[in-house]
Formats: sequence, C-alpha cells, structure tokens
Amino acid sequence: MQMDVDTLIRVAAFTGGGIAMGFGAIGAAIGEGYTAAQANVAVSRNPSLSGDLFKNMLVGQAVAESASIFALVIAILLLFLDVPGHSKLTAAALFGAGLCIGFGAIGSGIGSGFPGGQCCMGIARQPAVVSKMTTNMLIGSAVCQTPAIFSMVVALMLLFMDFSKLPLFPTWAALIGAGVSTGLAAIGSGYGGGLAAGASCEGLARQPEAGSNLTTTMLVGQAVAQTPSIFGLLISFILIFKTFPESTSLSAAMALLSAGICMGFGGIGPGIGNGMAAEGAVRWVARNIKSAGELMRIMLVGQAVSQSTSIYAMVISLVLIFVL
Amino acid sequence: MGAPDRALQKKYGSRAMAVAIVVGLFFIAGGYKPLAKGLVLGSLFSVINFVIMGETLPSRLGKSRRGAFVASLGSIFFRYALMAVPLVVAIKMEQVDLVTTVVGLFMIQVVILADHVLGGLRRKHPKQV
Repeated sequence: MQMDVDTLIRVAAFTGGGIAMGFGAIGAAIGEGYTAAQANVAVSRNPSLSGDLFKNMLVGQAVAESASIFALVIAILLLFLDVPGHSKLTAAALFGAGLCIGFGAIGSGIGSGFPGGQCCMGIARQPAVVSKMTTNMLIGSAVCQTPAIFSMVVALMLLFMDFSKLPLFPTWAALIGAGVSTGLAAIGSGYGGGLAAGASCEGLARQPEAGSNLTTTMLVGQAVAQTPSIFGLLISFILIFKTFPESTSLSAAMALLSAGICMGFGGIGPGIGNGMAAEGAVRWVARNIKSAGELMRIMLVGQAVSQSTSIYAMVISLVLIFVL
Repeated sequence: MGAPDRALQKKYGSRAMAVAIVVGLFFIAGGYKPLAKGLVLGSLFSVINFVIMGETLPSRLGKSRRGAFVASLGSIFFRYALMAVPLVVAIKMEQVDLVTTVVGLFMIQVVILADHVLGGLRRKHPKQV
C-alpha cells in the first residue's frame, strides 16, 4: 500500500491521539477510584462526617483528574490541529507526542489519588484539622502532577516545532525516543510522589502539630522522587534539539530510539523507590517528631542510592546518543 | 446530593467564572479579544465538568456493582467528550485563542488550590487589627 506524506501524518496523528487519551485515562481513573474507596472506608468509620468527606473526595478527585485533562488536550490537538511542517518527520513527532503524554499521565494520575484517599481517612480520624489536611492534600496532589506537566511540555514541543528541515534518517527515531523517554520516566516519579503525599496526609491526622515538619519532608521527598523524570526530560531535550548527521543505517536510528527507551524504563523504578523512601520518612516523622532531622537524612541517603539505577540508565542513554 | 456539596460547587464555580471574566476584561482592554474568549470558554466548560462530576456521584450510590460501573464509565466518557468541545472550537475558530482555552480548562483546579493555599497562609499570618 502506497502512502503519501499527508496520509502518513494523519495516520500518526490519529494513532498518537488514541494512545494519548487511552493510556492517559488509566492513571487518573485509578487515582480517583482509590480516593473514592478510601472515602467509603472513612464514611463507614465516621458517618457523621459524610458531608465533609464527600466534599473532600470531590475536590481530591477534581485535582487527580488534571493528568487526564493534559492527555485530553494533546489528543484533541493531535486529532484536529494543522501542525507546522509537512514531512515524514512530522508524522514521527506526532506519534512521539501521543506516546509521551499517554505514558506520562499514568503515574501522576494514580499518585495524586493517594493523598486524596488518605486525606478522607485522616478527616474521619481527626475532624478538627479538616482544612489543614485538605490544604496539605492539595499541595501534595499538585506536586504529583509535575511529571505529567513535563510530559505535556515535551508533547507540545513535538507538536509545534518544525522538524521538516532535518534529515529523516535517523531523526525520526530521535523524535519517537524523545516522547518515550519523558513519558515512561514520568510514571515512576508521579506514582512515587503520590506515596509521599499520601503518607503526609495520614501523618497529619495522627499528629496535627507535626504539620510543618511533615510538609517539609513531603516536599523534599517528592522533589527527589521527581529526579528520574527530570533525567527523562533531559534526554528528550537532547534528542529533540541535537542535529544528527544523515545516516540511512538502521543501527544509528535504533541507537537514538533505544536511548529514549533506556531512560524511560530506567526512570520508572527509581521514581517509585524514591517515593517509598519518602513515604517511610514522612510516616515516621508523624510518630517521632524529635527525629525529623535524622529521618530526613536517612531518606535523602536512601533516595540517593535508589536513584543510582536511573543515573546508570542516563549514562547508557548518553552513550547511545553521543558515542555510538 | 446535599446542600453543602452544592454550596461547594457554587463557591468554586462562581469564583472560577469571576476570575475568568475579570482576567478576560483585562485582555479585552488590552485589545486581545481572542484570549479573553478562550479563557472564558475554557473556564465555563471546566465549571460544567466539575458540576456534572458532583451531581452524578450520588446517582451511582445504591446501584448494583454493574450499574455503578456503567454509570461511572458513562459519566467519564460524557465529561471528557464535553471537555473536548472548547478545544475543538478553539482549533477551528481563529476568534478563540487555543492557549487560554487550555488554561481555562484548569480554572477549577487553580481556584481550589489557590483557595486552600491562601486560606492556609491567612491562618498562619492573621491580620493585625
């Protein structure tokens, strides 16, 4: 079957749009479902607070839905927008954009459901600090969205930049690799950040006077958990902005695609692992405020070690881009 | 759906629209009419999505497991389809700016976050009389 460039672009845009919204809906739906499940447990524990719990669940779910709205925006742009440049590279860029936001919205969607759920449980346990807990939940959920925002930025760059003057081989692989790198790496960071934020809401209900210590530990933990997605973003930027010499050899293209795959998959585990370390620290700060400094130190050392595998992935990605 | 929940929707919905209209007026005064139209359109659909989300939640309670699943899925599909409307309008019509439409779609989330963060700051630093 012969395919002209315009048809190829349309095929890539439709496939990318389907992937963007299909995968992008997974995370937010799970996150919202988790919040609702915890709200049910909370209502059965303390039925007199069902009004507060319902409101809190609704607000938590509205914020958790942001990640899938990012995916929706990119999907609609892919389906309806007349993008700049009409070459085969445009098709690769559009497909990469769909992959990027589709994968990138999963972790943030699930992760931002954790603080919502734990906040509902916390309100049932400690109704006196509803407002404080909701604020903490909203901050935690908002920070969870950062990896999805990184994915949206890369997807928008792939959509709106004109790559038509670059050589088709091997740039097509670099553009798809750029989408995969940030998209996959964002999964772990979004999920991990959610673990820390959920533990913070739980801790606040257990020990309201530990509020500032909890928020600080949560934010530091989330910031470090987001490092793998920043590595993913860095590799994407290199793949997008570096001009690769024309080469029709398949190995040159596969090196660039593999660089994106390597950093993308390599960022998932460290993001979740860092989130687990942060979750542990935040949970125990609430039980032992006096040791907050020590807990933070152990968390950071643990996160640094857990981070090392994403650094290995980044090194291999850089070798694939610059050496091979 | 209880009165406090409706009050919550009313509170955030009206604030989101008020912010969109005030910022939109500034855009119009500066001669950027498409930006204003995009922001107001996006915000309107953000509010509608939030209201439908709240209104359909209680309708899923008391249903069988299968009924609740179908109702939830239907609600999600309907709301996403609804959110796509302003984006398609902004893409198709030059009079509506796409970027501010996207910003408007997040107006409810922005208002919720701002309300709680500013409230937290006010509690931390109460006004001296």
